[in-house]
Amino acid sequence: MIAVAIDEDIPAVRAGCDGITYPVLIDAEHIVAELYAISNVPTVLMIDERDNIVHPNWSAYASDTFRELTGIDSEKQKDHIRAWAKDGTLRMSPDDAKGVVDDLSAEEEEARLVFRIAAKLRRDGDTIGAERNFERANALAPNDWTVRRASQPLRGVNPFGDAFMEIYTEFNEAGRPYHGVTGH
Amino acid sequence: MTSNDIVMLEGGPLVDAAGLEDALGWALKPEGLCKDGACVIVSDREALFHGERIDITAVASLLDRPAATDTQSGLVAIGAPREQRRAAVNDMKAPDFVLPNIDGLPMNFSDHRSKKRLLVAFSSW
Repeated sequence: MIAVAIDEDIPAVRAGCDGITYPVLIDAEHIVAELYAISNVPTVLMIDERDNIVHPNWSAYASDTFRELTGIDSEKQKDHIRAWAKDGTLRMSPDDAKGVVDDLSAEEEEARLVFRIAAKLRRDGDTIGAERNFERANALAPNDWTVRRASQPLRGVNPFGDAFMEIYTEFNEAGRPYHGVTGH
Repeated sequence: MTSNDIVMLEGGPLVDAAGLEDALGWALKPEGLCKDGACVIVSDREALFHGERIDITAVASLLDRPAATDTQSGLVAIGAPREQRRAAVNDMKAPDFVLPNIDGLPMNFSDHRSKKRLLVAFSSW
């Protein structure tokens, strides 16, 4: 298991990683969100010994914390992961798995780059420039959580407060777009 | 892999020949855009130039890489070649990447090749 935090807040990531023995990587530039078309977290992929993606982007949970919102039973998801780890049993056939993740749109792709510019400006102390680019990125990809929600803590907005419901309502109205598969 | 194929440039999108090669690893030569002895033909060379200088976002576009510019700060972000993401979404091949672990030590995803890997993207937000 390799965990990638789409995040630049290392203390916040560390706080959730007590006792973890597998690698936890810090993706401040959201490179993995660009390379794998990841639009929300958690997103899980199963990759075999020969670099084949045998289960593509999957909205899979480690616990039932969000079960009320998602309706997802995390134990059933973990059973699929355990079965694959144990004897290679796959949740989806290779034919079904192929092509289920839509490529990023031009706007979603650009939003990732503009987000990267904003994050750099913020780190460099240009809060006005950062805000200008966070707004531009969010306008390009309003329903992409790795852009819009990830920008909140960097803009001093509490991602678990009222701002969450605002994004969540729009996301539902847009039909819950996700680059990948959902469900048990 | 020692670094990801992404670029952040200061000073706007116009660069000289050396700046282009530094940023993208490709050189603009009479025979085209060249890297490691191989060249890509450039059909409209003029379109890459603003006067004497080269528009790196136009070159990125030729190399099928996305680019975004913030005019006010002069920052230019260039993304990875799109073929890397297409390998994932179309061909089910996992693109490699390198990232620091939580203690700052770089790790390649491919360091763990020959094992089954569960890749979990998460966040604190």
